[in-house]
Amino acid sequence: MIEPDNPLAEKSAYWSPYAAGLGIGLTLLLTYYVMGHGVGASRAYTQIAAKLLEIEAPAHAQGNTYLSGYLALGSLWRSWIVIEMLGVFLGGLLGALSARRFRFQIERGPKIAELDRLVFALLGGVLVGFGSRLAQGCTSGQALSGGAVLALGSWLFTLSFFLGGYLFAWLVRREWQ
Amino acid sequence: MTGPLVPNEILTAEAGLIFALVAGLLFGFFLERAGLGSARKLTAIFYLQDFAVLRVMFTAVIVGAVGLLLLERVGLLDADLLAIPPTYLWPQAAGGFLIGLGFVIGGY
Repeated sequence: MIEPDNPLAEKSAYWSPYAAGLGIGLTLLLTYYVMGHGVGASRAYTQIAAKLLEIEAPAHAQGNTYLSGYLALGSLWRSWIVIEMLGVFLGGLLGALSARRFRFQIERGPKIAELDRLVFALLGGVLVGFGSRLAQGCTSGQALSGGAVLALGSWLFTLSFFLGGYLFAWLVRREWQ
Repeated sequence: MTGPLVPNEILTAEAGLIFALVAGLLFGFFLERAGLGSARKLTAIFYLQDFAVLRVMFTAVIVGAVGLLLLERVGLLDADLLAIPPTYLWPQAAGGFLIGLGFVIGGY
């Protein structure tokens, strides 16, 4: 098995961030040109959650004002963002396989146990999920797509995102260093 | 062909769904190539160790913003048909903050 690159190492096999950023920017531009909207991520999770609830408890799902709006499409295969996220998964997989860094692992820092890492990942995921529904988008839908069309709220979102991250990272920095 | 193609009915909604897979493939591939498939690399920016996230993100935003401006100026894009995220200041500020927290808690 090939040793994985240290993600922080200088000589890692990753592309220059400017080259990759150019690729993402052109993808975003193409998406606006074709669809009239940008790329996203978090709404796919809500779409799937609404569908699962509908399968398990149809009356409850349809009666929920928030979730019923997500059910209007019918099949998940009618949802642009669900198909896009399937593409993101496959594109990421393709990228990792072709760069020979595909590997089953629980990626973690030097000081944290595997189980703790998973518990914190779940906790962080809950916060990201709730936050992205509150803001109607995550770093893809707001920071990237909203940022490119200079949406005021999206730039506020981006500032708050870095503020939240830096504040909390400063508080816990000793845990990780 | 004046974009956006699907809202202008140059392409059908079904073609838009096929395009979704293409857009996702490209997005996922470039994200992975940037190293943003790594949770450690994603959060390293908050410990001032690695600024890839910032560089990737703002390069993409600038390419997107300038590209949209150019497409509109040469008449290839009707900017009135673009979906602009609506402004809800407090929810967007609070949501962004929580996502920042979530990244740091979930990432390392």
